[in-house]
Amino acid sequence: MKLQHNLGGLEGLDPINTETQVFVEPWEQRIFGIHTAMMALSNHLGDSLPDYAIEEVPTEFKSFWTWGHLRMGAEGMHPFDYFRLRYYEKWLGGISGFFISEGYITQEELDARTAELLEDSEKAAAPLPSGGAAEIDAQVLKYLQEGDSPLRELPTPPKFSVGDRVRVKNVSPGDHSRLPGHLKGHLAEVVLVYEGAFTYFFPTEDGIGVPMPVYSLAFKNEEIWPESLTEPNSLYYNDIFEVYLEAV
Amino acid sequence: MPSNYPGFKYGADRETVSAAKVKALESLLIEKGIITSNTVDSILGYFETEMGPFNGAKLVARAWVDPDFKARLLADCNAACEELDFPQGMSGAEGEHMRIVENTPEVHNIIVCTLCSCYPWPTLGLPPYWFKDPTFRARVVREPRKVLSEFGVELDDSVQVRVWDSSAQIRWWVLPMRPEGTDGMSEAELAALLTPEAMMGVATVKV
Repeated sequence: MKLQHNLGGLEGLDPINTETQVFVEPWEQRIFGIHTAMMALSNHLGDSLPDYAIEEVPTEFKSFWTWGHLRMGAEGMHPFDYFRLRYYEKWLGGISGFFISEGYITQEELDARTAELLEDSEKAAAPLPSGGAAEIDAQVLKYLQEGDSPLRELPTPPKFSVGDRVRVKNVSPGDHSRLPGHLKGHLAEVVLVYEGAFTYFFPTEDGIGVPMPVYSLAFKNEEIWPESLTEPNSLYYNDIFEVYLEAV
Repeated sequence: MPSNYPGFKYGADRETVSAAKVKALESLLIEKGIITSNTVDSILGYFETEMGPFNGAKLVARAWVDPDFKARLLADCNAACEELDFPQGMSGAEGEHMRIVENTPEVHNIIVCTLCSCYPWPTLGLPPYWFKDPTFRARVVREPRKVLSEFGVELDDSVQVRVWDSSAQIRWWVLPMRPEGTDGMSEAELAALLTPEAMMGVATVKV
C-alpha cells in the first residue's frame, strides 16, 4: 500500500489551508507550463480524436507524456517525500527526471546550469534564451483548444447497470493507479453508467489504459469509515473504471 | 507559503533553488528545440485571458436567469457551453467531459480529486492551492461538514452533502445557489459575484 493512494479519511491532520492562489511562487508557473507543453507535444497525439499532425511539429520532443506519466512520478515517491514536497515541487522533480531518463538532457548539464544561476544573480534575472519554431506554439495552442478526449467506442457492453451494487476490487496499484485506495473492498451503488468507453492513454499495471466503461458510484460513508468518524447525511461519489469493480 | 506540516525541515533557500532548477530546465529545453522561448508564457496567458473562472461565472449567471438553460447545462455541460460566446476551447484540454451539479436548499455539492487535482480548466481555470493540498483531499471525503465550516460555510444537518471525487475522466464543478437580494441584477452583475470557491462548493455566493 502506498500512503499517497490512500489519502481519503486520514485522521489527525491540520486545519485546511485555504490559500486561493493557483501558484504560490512565480517559479511554479514555469513548471506548470512545461508540463502542459509536454502534454501538447506528446507522440501519442497522432492517434487522438482531434486531428493532430504531431509528427510534423518541428519539436525535438518525441516522447509519450500524459497525466499518467506525471502522476506516476508522484505516486512512486517515498511517502514522506510526497508530503514534504509541495505540489509543484513534485512536478519539478518528476519532469526533470523524465527529460534526463529520455536522454534530452543530462543530470550534469542541469546541475551545472542550476549552479550557474544560483551563483550569479545577474544570470538568474536574465531573460530566457530566445527562439524556437512557431509551429511548436501553434500545436500547443491547438492542444489547449481541442484537448485529448479519452472517449472511445464501447468494446463490450458495460457489465453493470444503474442500481447495481458493486464491490471495489482489492488490486495492487503498481506504479500508478486511478483507484483511490480507501475505496478498496467497499460496496457502492451504480448511479450512472457513462455513455461510451474511456481510455486512459497510459497503460497501468492495474489494468486501465484501454477503452472501458466508467461508472459513477455512490458510497455511503459508514460503508468506508467507522461510524464514529463519519458525519450525518452525506454521500461520497466516485468515478471508477470498470476493471476496478466486481459483482457482489 | 508555509509548508503543509511544520515537522518537515526546509532550507532557507528552498524557493531560490527551485526557481533556479526550473529556469535551468526551461532554458535547456529551449536551446534543445523542445519548446520555444514563448511556449510557457503563451500557455500561462491562455489561462489568464481565455480559460478561467470567468467562464464558469458566465454559465452560472445565465443558468440563474434562464431555467431552460440551467436544465441544458445540468444535462450536458459541454453542449451548453456552445450556446454562449466563449473563445474556442471550452471542450479543450481538461474540459473534454465536464459535468456540473446543482446546489439546492436540500443538497450541497463539493468537488475533490483525492488522487491528484483533476479540475475543469475551461470553466474554472487552474485549481487553487487548497484544492491540491493533501490535507483538503484527505479530509473532505470523510468530514466534509467540518471542512466546510473551516471555509466559513455552516450547513444544517438536514442538508445532504455530496462529495464528487474525480478519479476517472469526468471533470466536475458546482452550480451554486443564487443569493437573495439579486433580483434586479444583470447577468454581468451576477457573474461578478462568483468565485472559484463557490463553483467548487466550499463557499456560498455573497452579495
